[in-house]
Amino acid sequence: MTVKQRYLRVVHALFIVFLLIQFLPDRLVTDTYAGYAIWFAVGIEVLTLIVSALIKKPVSLNLFVDIVGFVYGLLIAWTLATAKFSVLKPALFPPPGKVFRQFIEDYDKILINIQSSIGIILQGYLLAIVIAVPLGLFLGWSARLGSAATYIAKFLGAIPPIVYIPYGIALLPTFRSVSVFVIFLATFWPVLGGTMSGVMNVDKKTIDSAKVLNVHPFTMLFSIMLPASLQQIFIGCNQGLTVSFVLLTSAEMIGAQSGLGYYIKNYSDFGDYTRTIVGLIVVGIVIVIISFIFNRIQKFLLRWKT
Amino acid sequence: MSKIEINHLTVDYTEKKKSFTALKDVSFSIEEGEFVSIIGSSGCGKSTLLSILEGINTPTDGEILIDGEPIKGTGADRGVVFQHYSLFPWMTARENVAFGVRQVNHSASRSERLKIADEFLQKVGLEQFKNKYPSQLSGGMQQRVAIARALAMDTDILLMDEPFGAIDAKNRTILQELLLELWEGDGSKARKTVVFVTHDIDESILLSDRIVMMTANPGQVYREINVPFDRPRNRAQLVQTKEYNQFRNRLLALFYSDIADKIGGEEVVL
Repeated sequence: MTVKQRYLRVVHALFIVFLLIQFLPDRLVTDTYAGYAIWFAVGIEVLTLIVSALIKKPVSLNLFVDIVGFVYGLLIAWTLATAKFSVLKPALFPPPGKVFRQFIEDYDKILINIQSSIGIILQGYLLAIVIAVPLGLFLGWSARLGSAATYIAKFLGAIPPIVYIPYGIALLPTFRSVSVFVIFLATFWPVLGGTMSGVMNVDKKTIDSAKVLNVHPFTMLFSIMLPASLQQIFIGCNQGLTVSFVLLTSAEMIGAQSGLGYYIKNYSDFGDYTRTIVGLIVVGIVIVIISFIFNRIQKFLLRWKT
Repeated sequence: MSKIEINHLTVDYTEKKKSFTALKDVSFSIEEGEFVSIIGSSGCGKSTLLSILEGINTPTDGEILIDGEPIKGTGADRGVVFQHYSLFPWMTARENVAFGVRQVNHSASRSERLKIADEFLQKVGLEQFKNKYPSQLSGGMQQRVAIARALAMDTDILLMDEPFGAIDAKNRTILQELLLELWEGDGSKARKTVVFVTHDIDESILLSDRIVMMTANPGQVYREINVPFDRPRNRAQLVQTKEYNQFRNRLLALFYSDIADKIGGEEVVL
């Protein structure tokens, strides 16, 4: 790519537009904390320039700057609609600077809440995978048990895990254990179902190839069936992860004293919508990062696929 | 005692309430160190026969003895190369071979297994591709890996089910010569007993000591023919001789007379 292709982009013009609109007079009586918004935009701009310099494929650069362009566009519209023209109700729609300032101020608190939420998810999620995958391999491999188990898994998996919450509360002592339990169920059934259908759909020729090598049943399950059905297992894992986040944040809004759902619910109860928006953005970021890591793991483990 | 004895083997399949005899009273034997090709048109049961030898299929009647012992399922005494999907796509070429070695030699350490794998991948000319996944290899290369694995496992018996059937003509020739060279060896080791299923007459002549010709509906042994050419064989020289062409014509005549019989017979019925 030439220097022109790398750096001559509309996205940088948008950045400058964003800086320029800061010179318009504020319409709000309260402080708009424009400085925080500017620092945030500068941060994005620096990141964009670094990525522009390092990225190799023009297509990837296009994608990246387009995304950044959207972010700038949103920031501009947001700033204009709140701080500059006060089109939106100030109590419900804080200007961007105020949100970024709040984010920095609450940084420690947010980090603790993220830890709490992710801790619960990982516990329930990993426990479900560790149990569901071997069980699914075994059930899928055993022809008779497998077909019966498919129906059981379909039935139990069809029950939305959220309806287990009241029963979970009766069964288990703490909010945390109930959450782990519900996330476990939300992940367990899709992963079990995915693993079993994966195993049952393994190409007969692959199975024969393993059989003629005279492999031990244990090797058959974990060295052959597991990788052969990995793609289907990942479909289950992915579904479990999505549902887990929905469930946990919902549960946190109902009964928790910590976590991201709690953070959002708690402050919106107090009418603190700046913090509510901070919470929403943080939940989005956390989920995007986790999905990214998940996709990376999936890509790595399925690198042999064409 | 023969290495492999096939005794009155019969296989019936029932599909959609229609019963069909894939093999009917098939008997012949294979000596230790012999290279035997089973040849026949499609539907003659040659692959069914091999799958019973592999131990992944069981006969309706009759049995196969290896060293006098009846076959019970798959065994570590037999290495197999299929036409497709012999390799595990999630393992690299090297891991595929090493995985095979592990199944017959549990005591070998990982590094020993990988060393054996490298050695055999070199023999089939794939040392540069050892860290590639099957999906990154051509069909011919995949079959080389499958052969390397079967050889690295160092089983007494090698079972090959149309291993070069899906390979283009040029590479097939190369692979046949490679197999011939590896199997004939330098005389330092005893040759393996090979059962090789094919529908390619030239392939069967070049490779085998004996050809078992089968006929379809039901699958039966039609003829057993000894291949009269000395070893080590060289394709380029062999195909130019008068004897080769006479022999080949004789086989073709047998092969087509069988098919003509069948087709002619059925046409009359229709």
